[in-house]
Amino acid sequence: MDIYVLVKQVPDPEANVKVKSDVELEIENKYFTNFFDEIAIEAGLKLREKFGGKVTVLTVDNKKVDALRRGIAMGADDAIQITDPALEGSDPFAIAKTLAAYLKDKPFDLILAGRQAMDDDAGIVGPGVAELLGIPHVNMIVGLEIDDPKKELKVVREVEGGKEILSCFLPALFTCQKGLNNPRIPQVMNVMKAMKAQMKKVDLAALGLSAVDVGGQAVKIKVQKYLPPPKRPPVKMIKEDFPENVKQLVKLLKEEAKVI
Amino acid sequence: MALDFTFTEEQEFFRQMVRDAVNRLIMPRVKELDEKEEFPWDLWKEFAALGYLGLRHEEKYGGMGIDTITQMIFYEELARGSCGFSMSATMQILMGTYFIARFGNENIKQRILVPAIKGEKIGTICFTEDQSGSDLAGTRTLATKVDGGWRINGRKQWITNGPIADFATVMATIDPKMGLKGLNFYLVERKTADRDGFVSGQRLHKLGSRCSVTGELVMDNTFIPDENFLGEEIGKGVQYAGEILNEVRVMTGMNALAIAKEAMEDARQYANNRVAFGNPISKYQLIREKFAKFWAWYEASRTFLYKCAWMIQNKIPCINECMLAKYHSTEMCMYAVEECMRIYGGNAFCSEYPVQRFWRDAKFLLYGGGTHEVLCDYLGRIYCKE
Amino acid sequence: MSNEIWVFAEQQEGKVRRVAFELLSAAADFSKKTGSTVAGILLGSGLQEALKSLTSYADKIYLLDDPGLAAYTSDAYLIHMAPLIKEHQPSILLGGATSTGKDLFPRLAMHLQTGYAPDCTGLTIEENGKLIAKRPLYGGKVFAEMIYLEAKPQMATVRNNTFLVNQNLNKSAQVIPISSPIDPSSLKKKVIGLEKAAGAKLDITEAEIVVAAGRGIKAPENFKIMEELADVLNASVGTTRATVDEGWRDVKDQIGKSGKNISAKLYMAFGVSGAIHHILGIGTCKTVVAVDTDPNALIFNYADYGIVGDLFQIVPALTEELKKAMAEK
Repeated sequence: MDIYVLVKQVPDPEANVKVKSDVELEIENKYFTNFFDEIAIEAGLKLREKFGGKVTVLTVDNKKVDALRRGIAMGADDAIQITDPALEGSDPFAIAKTLAAYLKDKPFDLILAGRQAMDDDAGIVGPGVAELLGIPHVNMIVGLEIDDPKKELKVVREVEGGKEILSCFLPALFTCQKGLNNPRIPQVMNVMKAMKAQMKKVDLAALGLSAVDVGGQAVKIKVQKYLPPPKRPPVKMIKEDFPENVKQLVKLLKEEAKVI
Repeated sequence: MALDFTFTEEQEFFRQMVRDAVNRLIMPRVKELDEKEEFPWDLWKEFAALGYLGLRHEEKYGGMGIDTITQMIFYEELARGSCGFSMSATMQILMGTYFIARFGNENIKQRILVPAIKGEKIGTICFTEDQSGSDLAGTRTLATKVDGGWRINGRKQWITNGPIADFATVMATIDPKMGLKGLNFYLVERKTADRDGFVSGQRLHKLGSRCSVTGELVMDNTFIPDENFLGEEIGKGVQYAGEILNEVRVMTGMNALAIAKEAMEDARQYANNRVAFGNPISKYQLIREKFAKFWAWYEASRTFLYKCAWMIQNKIPCINECMLAKYHSTEMCMYAVEECMRIYGGNAFCSEYPVQRFWRDAKFLLYGGGTHEVLCDYLGRIYCKE
Repeated sequence: MSNEIWVFAEQQEGKVRRVAFELLSAAADFSKKTGSTVAGILLGSGLQEALKSLTSYADKIYLLDDPGLAAYTSDAYLIHMAPLIKEHQPSILLGGATSTGKDLFPRLAMHLQTGYAPDCTGLTIEENGKLIAKRPLYGGKVFAEMIYLEAKPQMATVRNNTFLVNQNLNKSAQVIPISSPIDPSSLKKKVIGLEKAAGAKLDITEAEIVVAAGRGIKAPENFKIMEELADVLNASVGTTRATVDEGWRDVKDQIGKSGKNISAKLYMAFGVSGAIHHILGIGTCKTVVAVDTDPNALIFNYADYGIVGDLFQIVPALTEELKKAMAEK
């Protein structure tokens, strides 16, 4: 199977992100590979172990390539970095367009992505790429069963109140989420390989795209204003002894918060 | 640019990968490892499967042949988790296998080093005895030349991994009267039905670093074959030991960095959260000073340690620097955890909070590689050019 | 372009999700400012009940009742919705940030080449019909007000419980049946089954009240007391990453960065330390209660009410106390 995994380096969950001005954020320089992308890489590697073939990790980023390195460290065969100064300020639609432009003439069987990137948390790129390539997608999968890549496969996605089982043929695109697998911890041998790996760089011209297709000029939706998260009033500690504290809590929920 | 303090992008990636492995494998179990006081075989196997035990060994034996700076990055990240586990692992990676790799013949390397790198055999090194530790010249374990090999007699104490070790690099003297000049290293394996070797003696119960098991190794007229003599010439054991002392000291310093940083990060969270007199205690100047002091000491220590790593890597003589850095960093660590105990107030005294574990672990680093009394006496003597 | 606000009236097994009513209520508010017509778009098979529940909430309902739409797939829905949207050109299209909404909307937006704001926690409208979508970024560490450029419709998915349902809209919708049977061969995937989760509780993203326990619950079987508490409140039971990683609970109940974001009216956390991963998932809950033995647990920084205490003592007592309170109602 020829599998492509869309990956991204995003701010660590522990990193500070603050509003610097109405249209600017201050993001602490602490990054990690989007956790859902790791699940996608793992899914790709498992399929390769079963059917042979190749897993290629693919990112659109002008600077950060550690998501690609992690892909290699986990066991991916190849890493592609799409990079171009014109990509700065791209929205998820432009990123999807760029990825689709790269993938459209590749002989892929399956494209995998994380359910969303833990930065803008949008979840647009995966389904967007599928739409542009004209292949089916299933979002947020928690199960994937392929007996024969040429035949109909089964994929499970979580829905409210249960799990939905779908079938489709390859090629397809799935976005992956927690519950699908446990991503492997890279072995040091592969970590060393990843440290030395040279990423293949691709620019927009090679994809037949130009600056107007991507970046700030192509956005369909933009940030008017960044806001800090709403502040909660200071916590009210209920200091009475048990069981008075429980009675007091119920009273507050009923009469003050009016939520029960 | 002669003075460059940056890590390469690749080294940063390596650090991230180790950090991640530690976060996933070790961090969730830190409390349990400390409380159980047992060697975590399951964790050991999982960890060994990642290949880090072969970090500094040759690729043909399953190692990675990694440089000193990257190695130190590994030690620094590993020790963020469990100090005990870190001690067991570094014993295996560095001291426990160094002389096997350096002097062992091909047979020994295949039989001992290769499985050690895979984590299938556990190794250790033995210096300390009841009357000797920092004072190596007091070593009484005796190696007597016999036909086709050596007979070893003695008891080694305070042996990290001792109760579970499959093989040990044992320091013994051919004659106690020869002092340092009589000392050599010998490979001794655990006694089995078809092989003579050491047996485990009493196990110690330690204040800190508790999941690395420590105890006595006993050799009673134990026979080892000639090939188990680890060295090129008789009488050079101390000189050989000197080859890794620099690395061992910097490695110990890396452990100190990690414990100090974890403890302080933890205390920072606590201080920002714990309210007294209407404010988080981090708003009070006396508490803030603790963080400022720690920060200054920590940065100085870290810079010094990585300078030493750089000197080792570039083969620049640095015995004194490494001693100074080990001394500074482990004292810094002790200072940091003491201050953390203060920040936690009475809560420091209960096992529900991790600060007491950092404090217990930090104590351990003060003695590893020689007491500071002996170290400082030596360093002071050097400085005064006595 | 028409002056219509469309709401995707997502239904499952013939029952329209509450979030659709929430959005129709919000759209009714917007229309007071913009003079828009509020339309629901309802797709599925056997929709009589669903249609009936909707008519008082919308001015118009576009109805696509077709056996081929019995189960949701993005292909089938897209094939039907895209031409209809192109024909009627609504200025706004809203949907719930549900598993279906998040599956369909990005693809539809890409197909229509229009702007889409996912997983919003607030929407406002200007008199000229321009939508401002408020959404959390970086897991809720910051929020952004997003505005749309020229293309229409302005699309957004919105979290459950963001708006209140207004049961007094008293509209009577004009139903516009659309017939466009599906050619099954045009579909690239199909639903072959649905495994229902055990128990009748709502998904934690949908429930108005969520009670959760973290590692402090000590063992998986102890969740029984949480279930009992939830039953009294008609709540759902959530949990933290720690218990999911231990294998005590299903990942579908995990609140936080690698799990789900919830916007419950009331969230109660028991034995939850308050790791940032978890906190990020409850940022838009309205009232938060925290109970933990550690007075310095981080969770208290993010709560409205806190009790320092043992959950094994507090939870059963709270269950009893709430039973009494609910009986008084």
